[in-house]
Amino acid sequence: MTMTHPGLPITWALGIVITMLLTGLGVMLIHRETPHNRVIRLAHLPLIGIPLQRLLQRPWLQLGLKIFLVAVFLLIIAAGLYGTPMAERNFATVMTWNIWWAALIISIFFLGTTWCGVCPWDTLASWLVRHRLWGRSTSGLSLNLKTPKVLRNLWPALLLLIILTWLELGVGITTNPKATASLALLIVVLAVISAALYEDKAFCRFFCPVGRTVGAYSQLSLIELRPIEPDICARCNTLECYRGNKKIAPCPMHLVMGRLTQNTYCTACGNCLQSCPEQNIHWQIRSPSREVIRDARPRWDEAWFMLGLLALTSFHGITMLPAWESLMTGLAQQIGDSGNRLISFSLGLGLNLAVLAALFALAVKLTQWLSGNRQDFRQIFSAFSFVALPLAFAYHLAHNLNHLVRESSGLTTLMINPLGNDTQPLSMMEKHMGHLQMLISQDSLIFLQALLMVFGFWIAMRIIRHRRNGVLPGATWSLLPMVFFAVLINLFHVWILMQPMVMRL
Amino acid sequence: MQKIRLLLLLALVQVCIVPPAFAHHVLGRPSYSLSEDSNTPPSMQVETQIGKFFVTYMVFPAFPRANEPGRVNLYATRIDSGEPYAGQVTFSVKDDSWFSSDEEILGTQPIDAGVFRQGFQFNKDGDYIITARFEADGEPYVIDFPLTIGDTASATPITVSVIVIVLFLAGINVIKRKQLLRAKIRADRTDKHA
Repeated sequence: MTMTHPGLPITWALGIVITMLLTGLGVMLIHRETPHNRVIRLAHLPLIGIPLQRLLQRPWLQLGLKIFLVAVFLLIIAAGLYGTPMAERNFATVMTWNIWWAALIISIFFLGTTWCGVCPWDTLASWLVRHRLWGRSTSGLSLNLKTPKVLRNLWPALLLLIILTWLELGVGITTNPKATASLALLIVVLAVISAALYEDKAFCRFFCPVGRTVGAYSQLSLIELRPIEPDICARCNTLECYRGNKKIAPCPMHLVMGRLTQNTYCTACGNCLQSCPEQNIHWQIRSPSREVIRDARPRWDEAWFMLGLLALTSFHGITMLPAWESLMTGLAQQIGDSGNRLISFSLGLGLNLAVLAALFALAVKLTQWLSGNRQDFRQIFSAFSFVALPLAFAYHLAHNLNHLVRESSGLTTLMINPLGNDTQPLSMMEKHMGHLQMLISQDSLIFLQALLMVFGFWIAMRIIRHRRNGVLPGATWSLLPMVFFAVLINLFHVWILMQPMVMRL
Repeated sequence: MQKIRLLLLLALVQVCIVPPAFAHHVLGRPSYSLSEDSNTPPSMQVETQIGKFFVTYMVFPAFPRANEPGRVNLYATRIDSGEPYAGQVTFSVKDDSWFSSDEEILGTQPIDAGVFRQGFQFNKDGDYIITARFEADGEPYVIDFPLTIGDTASATPITVSVIVIVLFLAGINVIKRKQLLRAKIRADRTDKHA
């Protein structure tokens, strides 16, 4: 018997759709100026501001977290390779897919790219190649070559993200502890090779599918690492944040804090925090929509990465449909595909990516045609591609929240026996108990999911409204194809959330 | 206008009453389960699709050991009609290690209450491939599935990763040393010329 999570009730779904449409109408019809610049600087918070700033300006907290996460990572490898093959009893699969992957996406909203600052893949690669636990390395084994121009974009990361989805949904790596551990090791090997060949953090910037996903979504994060006083940066001639100093390494992403407007490539390594002689860099709380609506600069490869994210998150939902199962069965029979039906699955995945890209391109083309604008199609495409981000992020959050809230119980038992030695498969009673032991109540979960879907759509509408100023100034009704695209995708996501979902493990 | 509203509402209702769907369901993944019948040991189960058939095979116990009896249950049903295949299935086994191609026939089994049952007992731990063969509509069907006997731990991924990293870093080290040596020679020459 398969255990399933109940989907959104129809009354809630109708509520979401009505609120969504009203919100959309409100945004499109009521004129509003650009998003506000108000921020809350953590350094200026009463009581905790200064201690927090001092704590973050020292390497110890980050180093401690890195050591802890490397230990957890090594435990995942050990459990995956030497533990039970039963996914639900193995620390590797439960920690990686049920907890980390679900919590990571949720953490981006509150903590931005913080994960990248403590990521064990990069930590291990840096330790092995740079020979330093922290700080500036003067020796090390890296050839420090420039990353080849052909790789200096997000296409490699997009390709790896597609492969990761293929492994997750097609091959079923999420239910295979050994494969999970092997994948984690493979990424360490790739990170080490990249660190040994190329300067700075080329792997994080161009290749890492997780890092680039975090980077893209962090444009919708509540926090950012920015100068406390922009004037101090404007007067700065030494640029320690960019060049580093004797002890602290330069920014591995070549970012100058005084000019930083988007989170995408900041890996929260904290070098700028520690090297700024004026102690002018700190975390601040901001409007989560400002960057994606206004500050982020459109780029062709980033546009495709964001569309890829949307297509792949939607694809998770598509694989739930009964029609998908029939399509796969029929296709496998037609082409003689057997076993895991990987060829059919790959064709389906490719088709999904192509259809979403075609739908978006069609919406952009129609918008351009209706507005009578002759501007470069790529510019309009890139500018409006930000619409994909909140739609993908909201659905991804709502989907992962479901997994996290419903499938995180039993972690204590797993911590006591991470390898799952001498355990039996989950009994129906345990599955049922796990099903009932939710981190928050069912109503709260549904409310949060509904809120997320409306929030994502609201930001998407604001993006359409604001981004037109740059590429299609004065456009009004001609924006309808873009609006229709956002409505279609969000309705589809709401419908997917209404479907019962099988427990991951 | 009212017609449009009605159509929209109907479309929405239609969308909402589509039968339940299931996520993360992809064939071919092994899953482990305790049977509802407490006399049956835990089993490992894999579903797969081949030609006109859906095939499910179950291994009892879920983690078979050397010198202990075990059993494979195979179910084959037609995709279009759901009818079970009613012929005979021949099971064979081969060692899944390198340089080994010996295949041994385990037996040929007729259908029994919709199931093809094949017993086995291995005298050595290791990775094996069980092959099930049958013929339907004049076409041969061959299904391979892996079976691990004994301890499933594997150090191969970690060994390969360590070897790759060590060799790669050693190679980079050699290149860096050569670069340093060349730079030193060049600097010495420049000093001499000066």
